[in-house]
Amino acid sequence: MSAPMASPVIEPVIQTERLILRRPAERDAEPYVAVFTSGRADFMVAPGASVRDGWRYFYTELGHWDIRGYGMFTVTLKEDDSALGMVGPWFPHTWPEREIGWMLYAGHEGQGYATEAGIASRDWAYRALGWRTAVSYINPENTASIRVAERCGATLDPTAKGCDPDDLVYRHPGPEGH
Amino acid sequence: MTLSEMAQTVPTLETERLTLGPLSQDHFQPMADFYASERAQFVGGPMDPEQTWRTLALEIGHWALRGYGRFAVTEKASGRMVGVIGPWNPHGWPEPEIGWDLMNGFEGKGYATEAARAALDHAYRDLGWTTAISLVAKGNEGSRRVAERLGARFDREFTHVRFGLMDVMRHAGPGGSA
Repeated sequence: MSAPMASPVIEPVIQTERLILRRPAERDAEPYVAVFTSGRADFMVAPGASVRDGWRYFYTELGHWDIRGYGMFTVTLKEDDSALGMVGPWFPHTWPEREIGWMLYAGHEGQGYATEAGIASRDWAYRALGWRTAVSYINPENTASIRVAERCGATLDPTAKGCDPDDLVYRHPGPEGH
Repeated sequence: MTLSEMAQTVPTLETERLTLGPLSQDHFQPMADFYASERAQFVGGPMDPEQTWRTLALEIGHWALRGYGRFAVTEKASGRMVGVIGPWNPHGWPEPEIGWDLMNGFEGKGYATEAARAALDHAYRDLGWTTAISLVAKGNEGSRRVAERLGARFDREFTHVRFGLMDVMRHAGPGGSA
């Protein structure tokens, strides 16, 4: 098997006041997979998900990066490399629009991390990826996620199509709004 | 790993009629055609296009996490994609496997057997595997015949959470030992 050549690859790293957003790596898998058996991912996948399902989603997160050249970032505190969630641009084939998504792991809620990372990754998508608009697809019962969308300045767009018919679609302010 | 790194890291294998190389977005449509069809009933299908894209991302994420994975197999004569075939061992899998999904319209030519044999040799030679299995769903007679043509023997049964009851077929080892 041929070894990777030493071509310089610049991986995006975003810094905010308190956070680092970086490309997910294998060391981030454990807390990600744990979400799937905790019930915290029930808005994202069907209840009753297994550890194996969690791994499948983690592989898919990494594959999204390879295919698209971007994906959801692992979010950490500046002083601690352990992952506290995943936030950022997400655009699987067939989705109606490009999304900014967020998922925090247990114990990291209520501190504004999803909002801080959501705004930073959205601005990055506008700046680095050239996105002209972005939405967040949210289950109507996921009130915590709705609050994050509102704190990011996103507003309900009743005309936009959801991934699932029941999705609320929150539209973020555009690139000119900053 | 970025797409360009992937292309540098994924080896290319050649057989008489086939080339085994890296999977990419270019392979989405033939995969979507196969996974949407009844032929995919033994491997998690039929799937909608979004599920197929997530499967493609998952396959590529497997390369990123494991350093190896299944290949896009193309027909040398036509350049058309004939299958997704190769070493497969996601977290939670019973044992390292050689898997094969043959795209629609390429059955009955011995392509799965030809590519899987090359993948098995690659796993023993380049990845250091000392044994390998292939999982065949009950009733998937085409796949079972491929396993038998490769010289694999029934080992035990295994219940896959999504695919149901499967036969574990064990290949001869690197030196031809069972």
